[in-house]
Amino acid sequence: MNKYSIGEFEEVVMLTVAVLFENAYGISIKEEIEKRLERKVSVGAMRTALNRLEKKGYLESEFGEATAVRGGKRKRFFKVTPLGKKVLDQVMDTRKQLWDSIPSVAFDFKFG
Amino acid sequence: MLIEDVEGDLSELFAERASKNRIIAKVKYLIDVILLFRPGIVRNFEIKNGLINTAMLKNYFKSAMRNLLKYKSFSSINIFSLTIGMAACMVIFLFIKDEKSFDAIHQNNIYRLCEVQSFPGTNTQKVALSMPGMGPTMTDQFPEIEKYTRFWGWGSQLVEVEEKNMLVERVVGVDSTFFEIFNFNLLEGNPEEAITGPTDAVISKEIAIRFFGDTDVVGKTFTIRDGSLEVKAVVDVPENSHLQFDIALSVFAAVNEADEFNNQFGSNYLNTYFILNEKADIAALTEKFPEYLASAMDNPDINERYKLFLQPLPEVHLASMDIEHDYNNHRKFNGQYLDVFVLVGIFILIIASVNFTNLTTARATYRSKEVGVRKAIGAMRQQLLSQFIFESVILSLFALVFAFILVLVALPFLNNVIDRQLAIIPFIQDVQFLPAVLSITILLGIIAGLYPSLYLSSFKPVIVLKGLKNKEKKSIFRSSLIVLQFSLALGMIVCTLIVVEQLFFIKNKDIGFTKDHIVLIEMNGEMQEKYAEMKEELLSQSNILGVTASGQRLGNNFHQWGFKARVDTGIVNFTPSNVHVDYDYLEVYGIEIKEGRSFSKDFATDDGLAFVVNEAFVKELGFDDPIGQSVGHSWYPNDSLGTIIGVTEDFNFNSLHFEVNTLSMVIHSDWGFSEMSVKINGQNLDAALDEIENVYAEFVSDFPLQYEFLDDHFDEMYKSDQQMGSVITIIAVLSIFIGCMGLFGLASISIQRRIKEIGIRKVMGASVKELMFLLSKGFATMIFISFVIASPITFVFMSGWLENFAYRVDINPLLFIIGGAVALIIALSTISYHVIKAVRANPVSSLRYE
Repeated sequence: MNKYSIGEFEEVVMLTVAVLFENAYGISIKEEIEKRLERKVSVGAMRTALNRLEKKGYLESEFGEATAVRGGKRKRFFKVTPLGKKVLDQVMDTRKQLWDSIPSVAFDFKFG
Repeated sequence: MLIEDVEGDLSELFAERASKNRIIAKVKYLIDVILLFRPGIVRNFEIKNGLINTAMLKNYFKSAMRNLLKYKSFSSINIFSLTIGMAACMVIFLFIKDEKSFDAIHQNNIYRLCEVQSFPGTNTQKVALSMPGMGPTMTDQFPEIEKYTRFWGWGSQLVEVEEKNMLVERVVGVDSTFFEIFNFNLLEGNPEEAITGPTDAVISKEIAIRFFGDTDVVGKTFTIRDGSLEVKAVVDVPENSHLQFDIALSVFAAVNEADEFNNQFGSNYLNTYFILNEKADIAALTEKFPEYLASAMDNPDINERYKLFLQPLPEVHLASMDIEHDYNNHRKFNGQYLDVFVLVGIFILIIASVNFTNLTTARATYRSKEVGVRKAIGAMRQQLLSQFIFESVILSLFALVFAFILVLVALPFLNNVIDRQLAIIPFIQDVQFLPAVLSITILLGIIAGLYPSLYLSSFKPVIVLKGLKNKEKKSIFRSSLIVLQFSLALGMIVCTLIVVEQLFFIKNKDIGFTKDHIVLIEMNGEMQEKYAEMKEELLSQSNILGVTASGQRLGNNFHQWGFKARVDTGIVNFTPSNVHVDYDYLEVYGIEIKEGRSFSKDFATDDGLAFVVNEAFVKELGFDDPIGQSVGHSWYPNDSLGTIIGVTEDFNFNSLHFEVNTLSMVIHSDWGFSEMSVKINGQNLDAALDEIENVYAEFVSDFPLQYEFLDDHFDEMYKSDQQMGSVITIIAVLSIFIGCMGLFGLASISIQRRIKEIGIRKVMGASVKELMFLLSKGFATMIFISFVIASPITFVFMSGWLENFAYRVDINPLLFIIGGAVALIIALSTISYHVIKAVRANPVSSLRYE
């Protein structure tokens, strides 16, 4: 096992945060995931994931300016920390290693 | 710290969704909020060394959830029946809250002046009307009365605004104090200066927008009957106010001599309201009224005829069912029905809780091992008790959440049925509402869970762990709960049947005249003049069967006027109901003449000097041979009275809540009519209405056509009863449904327990029929006991309800039998699923392991 472990949903959230860069806050992350992965994300589930990731130190956040649209509530913008980046790299490396180790015959399906 | 941005996220989402559909957005918002209640977000639950032993609670929670999921059908029956019970209670709560909110914006020391009239020759009646002189003179005489205002309905008026004519339905006259006494919200203008002179007007928000397109219209003018009026204030008249008006003017707008009007006694035609000072003693004040009446009016009999009383404002909406001539009482409702609803709400909660108690207790053996293990490793009985109560509280909390959702979904439909605008959202925001609901729910969970918890926690560990079964005795407790449940459900079924029968009776009773397919058209000035020609033109249309007119509408009591009759001993004065009509009134309405003849144009004296009376009238005066007797209005000189020319049946011109009063009908061709009645061909409704519209347009130019169907007016009269009927029907269906869910669960357990017995009996040769009888017998006995308990109580209760109607059905014993049979059939078919499954099973499968 790796030193760092994250779940599939957490990975998606982190990647999305990275994709959105400077504009990653609650709703935008939710909508981006819904758009790209075509799955429903509840505010609650995403919030839990964000909190957990922040606690682990993979994400960091700060409040933005208040806007009128949200009833004067500030947005909380998320950013991937260097540690987070490291985790993502590692996840990708692991995957790549696994892919690379697949013997070519394994996917040589014969139909019929 | 977390809250702020989550809230922001939610409101952003809401705004986006709301742009598509507001209701869906609200529901989704609610769901999102509920989903946010998860450990990681609300609070970190992993507190170590906390004051409360959270580890144990966590374990309780976990085992509760496991049990819920393991026995899905039981859990869903439990939760679902509680959900329905709670949802029904919430709706009842909303309904009552809505009714109680009537006139709540006003001060609480306002009273309406009412009278009890006991005139000779007419039924004693309570009326909401009073005389114009009463307000001012009583305020002068009694220091307890601070202010008075009169409220005088003038019906619809044609209003000219900026050279356009518009019809305004509710124009009223009030005193200058009206807006000081009643706290109506004035959008513009101030209450002290709203109505100071005869040209001042206060218009409602809706009218302001209709007239001027805006509410900031103080100072603008309009005209009614050539009198110019100035808008002084714009008022918001809420739906939950018993007083409804579109335009309020000064009473003096219709009166020339203010002094004379303020001292006018004799006839009652307007409402009077008083505001009393804080220290006023109502009883003492009421005692002084007879003295006042004697001094105010020059009539030695006055105190035998009139008794004044003060009706507190909160009672005007909910306790005026026995008050007649109550014209300014919007959506009047029978307050006693609210108590019935409370009772019914409690019943349905009891039925739901019984399910819970019964099922949990019956299922106890499934969990005996758990109890054994917990006890063996050191659990105290108290701890087990709290565990099981905790579980039932969790279940009831689940039910609460579902109940909220159910209410949200069902309300639009219910609002349709009971014609209300109930909403739960405003209450959710109320600070007191949620804690109250939560504590009631928790209490309910504790009560329902108490008995099963006591029972479960009493298991002896040695016995249950050894696998020995606790001796299952026939549980009297459980059976009596079922009896309670079915007594309530059965009672409600029978009530529903009786209510439906009575409502059907009201709708279809032969009331002595035709009320279907009669169109009522209000007569305005122009129509009065052209009445004769218009009638002729209408009658020449193919779909119009008859046209007549009268001074008052059928369906309410007619006004009572003084009357005199010559009898052997001289002249007697009395006061029957009166209505003046057109010559063919009796024919068009199909009112039957028992003796004599109807009005006819062939006799000149039929205009004013001929009276058609009803049987009650004849009986009251004791005439043996009524035709030709001398009678007349009280203002006719004794030597020139008219005669009775005909006697009709006692037709129900008033609501069926009241006995038929004495009635006299007369023709006064010079008085003019207030309403035209057009009888149309029911087969060609649309064509007939078109014909009316065309003829109307031909004759009347400046007054828009306004019509109403007579049977709608009758439906309106029984609305309170009708709505009570719908509510009780819905509740009865729900309660039998919940009861059956419980029975279904219980049957499955008790039959499961006897599966081996059934197997052995089958092997020994019992037939399917015998076995079915054996298994159903117990349940049938319980239903029968419920029947015996519920019937007399229901009978007494419903007899009381029927007392409300002067015309009512007798309670038919057959209805009880039907109710009982329905309950029995439903109950037996509910359990038949389990019974048949058990009886038809192969005995091998149940006996194999022995």
